Amino acid sequence: MHLYKTIKNFLFDQEYFIDLWQNNIHIYGFLDILSLQEEKAGFHFERFDVELVGKDFRVLKLTKNEILIQGELREMRFS
Amino acid sequence: MNTYVIVLIKTNNFERFFLKCRGLGIAVFHTEITEEGMIIKILESDYKKLHKIWFIQYKKVDVEGVLKVGELVKKNFVFFVALIVGCVLLFLISHVIVDVDVIHSNKEIRDLVTNALKEHGIVKNTWRKSYQEIQEIKESILEEYPLKLEWLEIESKGMKYVVRIEERKINEEETVKDACHIVATKDGIVKQVIYSKGEALYKENDYVRAGDILITGSILKDGEEKSVVCATGSVYAEVWYQVSVHVPLTYTEQTETGKVRWNFKVKNNTVNDFIFKSRVNSYVEELHPLVKLFGTEFQFVRQKEVIEEEKNYTEEEALNKALEEVDSKVSSTLDENEKILYKKVLKKEQNNSTMDVEVFVAVLESIGEQQEFERELSGNDGDTTIN
Repeated sequence: MHLYKTIKNFLFDQEYFIDLWQNNIHIYGFLDILSLQEEKAGFHFERFDVELVGKDFRVLKLTKNEILIQGELREMRFS
Repeated sequence: MNTYVIVLIKTNNFERFFLKCRGLGIAVFHTEITEEGMIIKILESDYKKLHKIWFIQYKKVDVEGVLKVGELVKKNFVFFVALIVGCVLLFLISHVIVDVDVIHSNKEIRDLVTNALKEHGIVKNTWRKSYQEIQEIKESILEEYPLKLEWLEIESKGMKYVVRIEERKINEEETVKDACHIVATKDGIVKQVIYSKGEALYKENDYVRAGDILITGSILKDGEEKSVVCATGSVYAEVWYQVSVHVPLTYTEQTETGKVRWNFKVKNNTVNDFIFKSRVNSYVEELHPLVKLFGTEFQFVRQKEVIEEEKNYTEEEALNKALEEVDSKVSSTLDENEKILYKKVLKKEQNNSTMDVEVFVAVLESIGEQQEFERELSGNDGDTTIN
């Protein structure tokens, strides 16, 4: 398990990250989900919140601090 | 290795469902929207947590990973068992030798090679040898019998070995005897003389003693030796023996009761036992071989219950039994042209449990034996020479 944690720390050396590609949004490291709707999704991070606005949002994968959303992203707001 | 469960979720509020999942620590690895609802892939260990989400309806659709394999095996149990049995059989068929066929017209050579192969572990119901081992065995046997075997081939055909042999033929010089008599080996009364070379010195009903010349190889004319041959023929004479036998006066008679019980038997060099406990005390066995593998034979046994009764022979019965025994004892030493002429009881004595009988037996038996002799000097015959 120690080895696994070391490799994970090496690969995921960021506290959080948000990846975007072809109608997919990959968010890692959030602390809480504020909202999860077809047109809007909000996530709370340690120092800020992120709000995604778009169309046909659908959850493909979900774990405690990681989510993969498919959908058309129009706006991303930080607050 | 993780095991996943594919679950169909029906709810009006997927947002709430995902939030609840996150709250309960359920990781969702895949989602797909269908007409019936949403299909999700979660860990098998998380599946139980779904019942805590009261506002959804869910149904297990499929499994993946180890569980899937287990389920597949359970569904096709008969197929997998047949597959395993098939593989085992295939392995046995391709690795076991059930027969060793030694091909040669000479029985002596066949026996010689069969025994040599046996010593090297090539016998039926054993594991197949490797090519290298076969080559070594072939070389070793040929080295062991250089005067008898020219060539040897061990061919593997299906589940048996076919062994072909070429015998080594050494031209031996034939030793032809050129001067011999037929001499009596026992005392007796001549009954028949058959000869192709030489001259018979005795006729039917003549009494001869052991060592007498029956057919001579020395051809005489007017008291002079004219030629010398190797006498060939047979002389049958009546000879006599005195045979003693002891016959027990009691015997055990077995009567079948009609009760039959079955059992199984394992038999090999060291074990010859029933698998189940015998359910009848006294019985006669009827054996039916089932299978023989690696020198161990499994037999189906029908045990027919019998009642054993001790019985006594009458004097006449015991005497007949004794005479039968004498017959078989003497006959075992005779060949097809020899026979027992007559027999006479000389003495019979009855003890507590046995009868001792002494029998005089007259037998028609071949008593002639070829014996070489040295030629003598002959003045006027060009055929004879000095030895």
